[in-house]
Amino acid sequence: MSAQPLLEVRDLSKRFASRESRDASLWVIKDLSFSVRDGEFLTIIGPSGSGKTTLLNMIAQIDAASGGEVRFKSESAPINDPKSLNPGLSCRIGYVTQEDNLLPWRTTLQNVLFPLTVQGRLNDETRARAAELIRHVGLAGFENHYPHELSGGMRKRASLIRTLVYDPPVILMDEPFGALDAQTRAVLQEDLLRLWEMGRKTIVFVTHDIGEAIALGDRTLVLSRAPAKVAGEHQITIPRPRDIRGIMSHPDFGPLYQRIRAQVQ
Amino acid sequence: MTTQDGALDLAESTKVKWRQYAVTAGRIGLAVLLLLAWKIGAERAGPLYVADPVLVAQRIVTGISSGELLYHIYVTLRLSVIGFAIGCFFGVALPFVLRRMPRVTNAVEPYIMASVGVPKYALVPLFILWFGIDDAPKLWLIGFLVFYPVFIAVFAGIRNVDRRLVNMARVAGASEAMISREVIWNSLLSFFMASLKIALPRAVSAAIIGEFLVGDAGLGYLIEYSRQNFDTVGVFVGIVVATALVLIINAALVWLDRRVNAWRPTERDMQI
Ligand SMILES: Nc1ncnc2c1ncn2[C@@H]1O[C@H](COP(=O)(O)OP(=O)(O)OP(=O)(O)O)[C@@H](O)[C@H]1O
Ligand SMILES: [Mg+2]
Repeated sequence: MSAQPLLEVRDLSKRFASRESRDASLWVIKDLSFSVRDGEFLTIIGPSGSGKTTLLNMIAQIDAASGGEVRFKSESAPINDPKSLNPGLSCRIGYVTQEDNLLPWRTTLQNVLFPLTVQGRLNDETRARAAELIRHVGLAGFENHYPHELSGGMRKRASLIRTLVYDPPVILMDEPFGALDAQTRAVLQEDLLRLWEMGRKTIVFVTHDIGEAIALGDRTLVLSRAPAKVAGEHQITIPRPRDIRGIMSHPDFGPLYQRIRAQVQ
Repeated sequence: MTTQDGALDLAESTKVKWRQYAVTAGRIGLAVLLLLAWKIGAERAGPLYVADPVLVAQRIVTGISSGELLYHIYVTLRLSVIGFAIGCFFGVALPFVLRRMPRVTNAVEPYIMASVGVPKYALVPLFILWFGIDDAPKLWLIGFLVFYPVFIAVFAGIRNVDRRLVNMARVAGASEAMISREVIWNSLLSFFMASLKIALPRAVSAAIIGEFLVGDAGLGYLIEYSRQNFDTVGVFVGIVVATALVLIINAALVWLDRRVNAWRPTERDMQI
């Protein structure tokens, strides 16, 4: 689409202060650069511990960076100083975290409505949208259950729609379908694609699963082991709308899968 | 299938019911035993040292019907409630203020923790010297005694808050005030409730001790005045009523705790 990328990661680096100073120079992410177009569905794949969550935390401005910058709509955000972080960049970057992070004292419905509540956007229309999403992901009848009364997969779904419900233009997702059975996973993948095709959000989607990365994405980035760098980039040429369940039989799928797997190590 | 389940449920629920009956019977039996021990003790020790429970009960009834005992209860309760409110307010507010200033917290924390060790009752003469002999010294005493358990619990609770929940709330657009109210407060509510179980009975005890020393009404005054007049029955009336007061407060707290923590998994599992 437009030449200007919506989200730009430039030379981003991160190291954690370790308790003992001896391995203080352990970089989790080093000079990582990539950009995301407006309306693009980018999937990121990388081995466990390669720094994917750390990367999303910095883009969401939960964590400060040790170097580099993240630009949103060409504005540079000062994310090197923990004090000047703006988490969620004024509700424009949604983040479906790896853990569900539901508030244990709120019911499913109250959790889903939480962002709307704190943003002061609770009205009949947004409530109806929440109810619609709850039904969509199979949580109808569980609105008044507390998180500990839900299964792990149900909690994941609740946390997913908690972000979808307030409709931020960019959504970061950290393995949102990791804990689900194949059937539910496929249903939710289809739902996510349909929602995305309707609203054309910009999505950065982290996953372990090469098949999922191909099935959902316009483009897939492969991260190397820590310190994370871009080990490979793949345009997913399979046309949309895609048939998630039949995607493996598409002629482009096999070769892509092989090429990506060769780089994920 | 369903009938089998129903039968099972029924058997299970009658079992539970019988267990509950057994517990209740045990409790009543224990109470009877205690009263009996009291009665026998009173007869052995003599009326100057241990009052007869029957006389104590009679005195309580006449005290309530004449309104005199009710007045003493009112005075003590009023003092406890005001002192508790003051101590509790600062015990909750201070950790929330300190949360915003980590450096000040680091500097001040050892002093606060050291001041826990100061025996508060030993300060009462000072409070009297400084604040006179009205309610003020007693309120200071109660306030301090309530402040510490609440402060320590809320302080620990704030440290314990899951940072990931706070981050989630921030990303969702919650302001700092909303995060304090929604995420932090709810996370530390169980710490706070636990501290109340210490602080509320303490408030009543402190009020009574304050009344031993200064004042002309209240349960503490009643106990001390009766002792001075060799009225052991009056002393026991004060003790029994004060104990009942604390028990009622505890029961109210348990009820409140249940309501506040209704969402907690353990609360429900403990029912059986
Ligand atoms: N707060 C922290 N302090 C110190 N080290 C950390 C911290 N958070 C993450 N790390 C380290 O950074 C590395 C990357 O962690 P990260 O959670 O980003 O991995 P990931 O790619 O998301 O892994 P997974 O796929 O298993 O979720 C790990 O080696 C981890 O030990
Ligand atoms: Mg991760």
